[in-house]
Formats: sequence, structure tokens, C-alpha cells
Amino acid sequence: MVLSRKIAYINLSDASVRISPVPSDLRRKFLGGRGINMHLLSKVYSQELDPFSPENPLIFGAGLLTGTIGFGSRVNITAKSPESGHLGDSNMGGDFGAELVKAGFGHLVITGKSRRPVYLMVKNKQIEIRDAGTWKELDTVETQRAIRQALRDEKIQIACIGPAGENLVRYAAIRTGLKNSAGRTGMGAVMGSKNLKAVAVRGTLDITISDPNNCLKAYRLQLKKLMETKWVQALGKYGTPLLFQYANAMGFLSIRNNQSTSIGDQGYALEAEALEPYSTGMLSCFGCPAHCRHRYSLTEGRYKGTKGEGPEYASIGSLGTKLGNLDLENIIYATELCNRYGMDTISTGSYIAWAMELYQRGIIDRGMTETPLHWGDGKAILQLIHRIAHRKGFGSILAEGAFAKKIFKELSRDYLLDIKNFPIEMTDERLPKSFALGMATSTRGACHMRSRPSLDVLGLPEEVLKKIYGGPVSSQFSSYSGKGRMVWWHELLNAVCDSLGFCRFLTVFSSPHAPQYQQFSKLIGLSTGLAMTPRELKIIGERIYTLERMMLVRDGISRKDDTLPKRYFETPIPAGPAKGEVISSEGFDGMLDEYYRLHGWDKNGIPKRESLKKLGLSG
Amino acid sequence: MKIKVNKEKCSGCHLCEMVCSLFHLGIINSGRSAIHIKKDDLDTSLNTPLLCRQCREMKCLDGEEGGRHQEKKKFIWSYKRAKRCPFDALTILGGNAYHCDLCLGNPQCIKVCTPGALTLSK
Repeated sequence: MVLSRKIAYINLSDASVRISPVPSDLRRKFLGGRGINMHLLSKVYSQELDPFSPENPLIFGAGLLTGTIGFGSRVNITAKSPESGHLGDSNMGGDFGAELVKAGFGHLVITGKSRRPVYLMVKNKQIEIRDAGTWKELDTVETQRAIRQALRDEKIQIACIGPAGENLVRYAAIRTGLKNSAGRTGMGAVMGSKNLKAVAVRGTLDITISDPNNCLKAYRLQLKKLMETKWVQALGKYGTPLLFQYANAMGFLSIRNNQSTSIGDQGYALEAEALEPYSTGMLSCFGCPAHCRHRYSLTEGRYKGTKGEGPEYASIGSLGTKLGNLDLENIIYATELCNRYGMDTISTGSYIAWAMELYQRGIIDRGMTETPLHWGDGKAILQLIHRIAHRKGFGSILAEGAFAKKIFKELSRDYLLDIKNFPIEMTDERLPKSFALGMATSTRGACHMRSRPSLDVLGLPEEVLKKIYGGPVSSQFSSYSGKGRMVWWHELLNAVCDSLGFCRFLTVFSSPHAPQYQQFSKLIGLSTGLAMTPRELKIIGERIYTLERMMLVRDGISRKDDTLPKRYFETPIPAGPAKGEVISSEGFDGMLDEYYRLHGWDKNGIPKRESLKKLGLSG
Repeated sequence: MKIKVNKEKCSGCHLCEMVCSLFHLGIINSGRSAIHIKKDDLDTSLNTPLLCRQCREMKCLDGEEGGRHQEKKKFIWSYKRAKRCPFDALTILGGNAYHCDLCLGNPQCIKVCTPGALTLSK
């Protein structure tokens, strides 16, 4: 059944649905999830394609092994991004992906635009387009409840948008469950532009496994090894907030829009332990053994009655330190507001941080912002989130994201720390050079999830690094040496993970002992019957990444765009544990040269003709 | 022997359901597993793994003739028995119910329950 999952093409303009098999050569070339999504998007991607036009396809893709026993059951959502104007792609956990495959589908390609708000009902090989008029303006949790109630089925899984998506906030998210988000690159705004409120899925079909006994045995062995890693043990106890502590202690955290990179002892207020009083247990996405997500409840104080899941490190950084905000309860509440409205917490925090620095420097004033915008003003942050989601006043300007540069004028540009028109996140990459390169080369604009070689934090012996990466890599966190290789290697592995439906945290990310190609190859074979060597899988990673790069090349992107914010090159970190760290142009260029060479791209970052030929891609 | 449940610890991952159906039927289908997680993922209430409690009384077999001992070892049951279960512990799909046979002494679900919500009690 894994290989018989279908692709459905849904056109909302003429309400047509066409269902096709996934050709076997496509599976062999791209696996599923992100890989096949990219293949489908690349057919129509051009510089002229308007992200808000009916022609922009919104593509849902479950990983090849989503719904089976593996290392996650995730789904990728892909389209041209209204946030950056370039490639859009976001990966989401929860139970939605598994339900989609139980209903018999691997991919949904949604084009067109409905005249009225609609939702899709996907159930056991059938797809219907249904009226969603009564659910307009409901938030993302209310929407899911309303659909389950209307259809009297608590097991329906729903991916939906909230008011932010309906109002075309450029960084609107698509959400499922209480917390899971396809957050970055504005896929929720694309969904809103199509008048598509939700995709509801329900499946009861069997997932047949090629060699059940051996699959179970192999999985249990791999699982045992994974659960023995310190990384997964810590993750299951503290969740991603444990990463906050590292970033603060080492000095690669964003404070006040990256004006500094550590808050020292003040960081205790936001560390993993500080979350303990609110946490009421740890939860998992479908099929995940790590349970990295807190369930929380605020039982007293200003935000009494707020409950949900999270918050994650990315939100604590983006809505916290990046805004000079150290009030954990306010951060939790702000995160919940973004989730309810269906808005990416990372981008929301980043654009507010931009506005706060512009206000600090007098580049914008109350005449534009309506209210004062001081660092750490939790009340102002909440108010802005409301105003962005509803596109009211100054909120409507910030809802434009990086495109607000046109409104803020020339002086504002250096204070939005963006790459390829997409804002950097909760971290500062002047100290970790591998992280910096990964941000500069990510195919969806400034993003840590394309490569982030977290292994670099561990300072592993160089002989170990050489064995993993197949060439020399410095074990010094702040060194440029070999970091091009490191980033390249993780970009490929992550592209494969996203195409299998696996989670970063359960594969080689922060532990060298976590599963990677060898283990993937085994599970693919035993689950699906597809024989694929570890080497073939790595080539698939290169094919996916290079195909993504080719779409960017169509936008005119090249080496000149694979760069970092001016502040990273010109301003050394002023204080704290990473004091004095800055990116040198020579060091950065050296990493980029090595990185392009390994990808088979030319000095300008354009994939070479022979590389494309080898990968079976056409220019 | 029975499987004890601590719902405080259940992460709601569904791995128990997946390996149950895989071990018994060679397929993955949460609806055809003897264990199932009852959860409201839009609320913050606890997840509840449900499965046969191996009651001594066995209300599920009321009105039936024959050997209880033999029935205990079977995985696929009639849905009628599930309807008689006072704990609604059995999964029903189509005309079948799925009953925990304890994997004939080697329960698979416990082996993949990483939070430790499922334990074996003799």
C-alpha cells in the first residue's frame, strides 16, 4: 500500500478532482514528501508565478514512510512563498500525515481559487470539496473542533488556517492539532488566497508492509540504539527548550534583534527548568518514540486558563529574547495567540523585532506605529500580534513581512536581518560558522532546518568527524575549515529525511549515533520492498537539493544572494561569551567555494550542466 | 499476566497500535489493533491507552459456551463480545473486534512504549 498511495490534483476554480498513481520512477528519484513535492512544484515554478495567483500549487506531501514504523510521520507543504517571493516549503508533525496515508493518498496538489470558502474532505480514496462558509474567522483550534463536531468524528485530522491565513498575512501558517504548524514561508497565506479553510482527512485503510517480521525486528534494534543516545533522552525530558540553554551559554542567541547574543544569568528565566511548573506531561507526534513536546497549563496569573502544547525553543527565542522579552508566561501566551491565529511564531517575532529596532533608532515613530514599541514590552507584543492577524493599522504593514521594506524606506533595510527576503530566526550565527553558512545557502531563505549541523556544538574528535562527513572538518565551533562540507552533508540528509517523513530530532542532527542512510535503506526495503542503497539515498538528497536550487536560479538567485546580513560581517558581537565573533568575508567565501564544489555547482552557485545530467534533472 | 496502563505517562504516539497490528496481521492499522489510544488532541486532557484488562469474570463471553482459556489466546473476536465489555476496551472495525492475546506471552506494545506507560504485571 505504501507504493500504491495516490497523488490527487484538485482544482478549486472548477471544483475538479483527478487521482493518479505515483509513477515508480518518481518514487525512485524523489521518494515522497518534500522530494516529490519539489518535483511537482518545479513543473510550474517561474519568477513570474505570483504566489497569490490561482496557478500557484499548494502541495501536501506525506513522506514515503509516513504512517509506518520509522522515525516520524511528517508531511511537507510546498508552494511558491508569498513571504519571501521565492521557494516556499514547510514541514509539519502531528497526526495529519499518517491519516492522509491511511486514506490512501501521498500527495495533494491544490490549484485554482474557490469563490466561496471551502474545505476538502479526504476519506478512504475519495475527495470532496465542501462548503466552509460558516467557519470563516474561526481560529485554528476552533476550526478543527467545528469540523469534527459537524462530521461527528473525533478521529478526523485537520490541517487548517485561521484568521491570519484568511487575511493573507504573508507568514500565515497551516496548523494541525493544538500546536503543530507548517509555520515558515507563508503556506497558510497561499491556502487563504485559494479560499481553502481546511483539509480534513480520515482513513482506515491497511498499510501493508513488505516484510512485517523483519521490519519489526529491524525497527526495534534501531529504536533501542536511538533511545540510548543522551540527546533523545534529554529531548524526551526537557523538549527543545533545552537548546535555549546551549545558545545562551555559548552566545549564539538573538537578543533584541541580534544587537547582542547572550543574556547570561538572566537566561534562567527562560530555560527548560523554568517551564517545569507549567508542564503536565510530554507528548509525541504520530509514531514518534521521543515525546519532545510539553503539554502545559497556566493555572494562575495574568494568563490564567491558558493551556496548550509547547512552547518550543524557536518560539521562546523569537517571541522572547529577540524582542528583549524575558517574561515566560507572556511568551507562552504570545505563542498560543500566534498558533490560534495561524501565524508563524518565528517570523512574527522577527518582524516585530525589526520594528522595535527601527523604533529604537528613530527610523519609525509613533506616527506610524500608533503605540510605543519598547523592547520587552509584553503588552505591546500581544497587541501587535492581534493587529497583524487582523491586518489593522500598523499591523497591516508588519503583515507584509520583508515586503514592508518598501514602506519603511531605505534606512530600514539593514535592520531586517534577512536572507533571500526571509528573516533569520531566534539565533545569531556570528560564532558558529557552519550555522552561518547553512542560513546563507538554505533553499527556503534564512532557515536552520535545511541543514543546521548541530553536531558542530559537540566538538567531536576530528577523526570521528572525518568518518561521518567523508572529509576533513574542524572540531572548532568557530572555525571555517571543512564547514562547507558539513553543511552540504546535512542538507542532503535532511532532504532525504523530509522525503521519508522522518523527524530531524530522530536522525543525525544532535547525535552522531542516531539513524541515517544505512538505517533508512534497511527500513525502506523492509517496509516497501524498494531496494535502495545508502549511496543511492544520498544521491536522492543531492537531486532534491539541486532541483530546489534550480528553482531559485529561475528567480535570478546566485552566489550574490548566498550571503548573510550586513551586521554579521561588519559588527563583532559586543559582549558575552562570544564577544568579538564576526564573519570574515574570506572565511565565508572559502566555505562557500567548498560547498559549491561538493554540490557540483559552479563558482557562481549555478548547478553545472554535467551535475544536472548525472542527477537526471533538466536545466 | 496482564498489561498495566499508566495514562499519566502516555505520549499518544500510537506506536503500540502500529506494532500490535503489524505483529498479528502483518499490516499497520490502528483500527485493527487490540490496543488503542483514546485521546482528544485538541484538549490538554490525558491520553488513555485502552486494551483488554484480562478480567477474571470475562463479561465479554456472557452467554457463550466453550473454553475461556482458548478464547483468551485469540486476537480476532466477534464485535458482539466487544459490546459486552464494561470498559469499552476492545477496538472494533467492521464486524471484528480486536482482543489482546498478550502476543502469546511476549507483548510487543510494551517493547516500543518509550515513556513507560505500558508495563507487564504478572
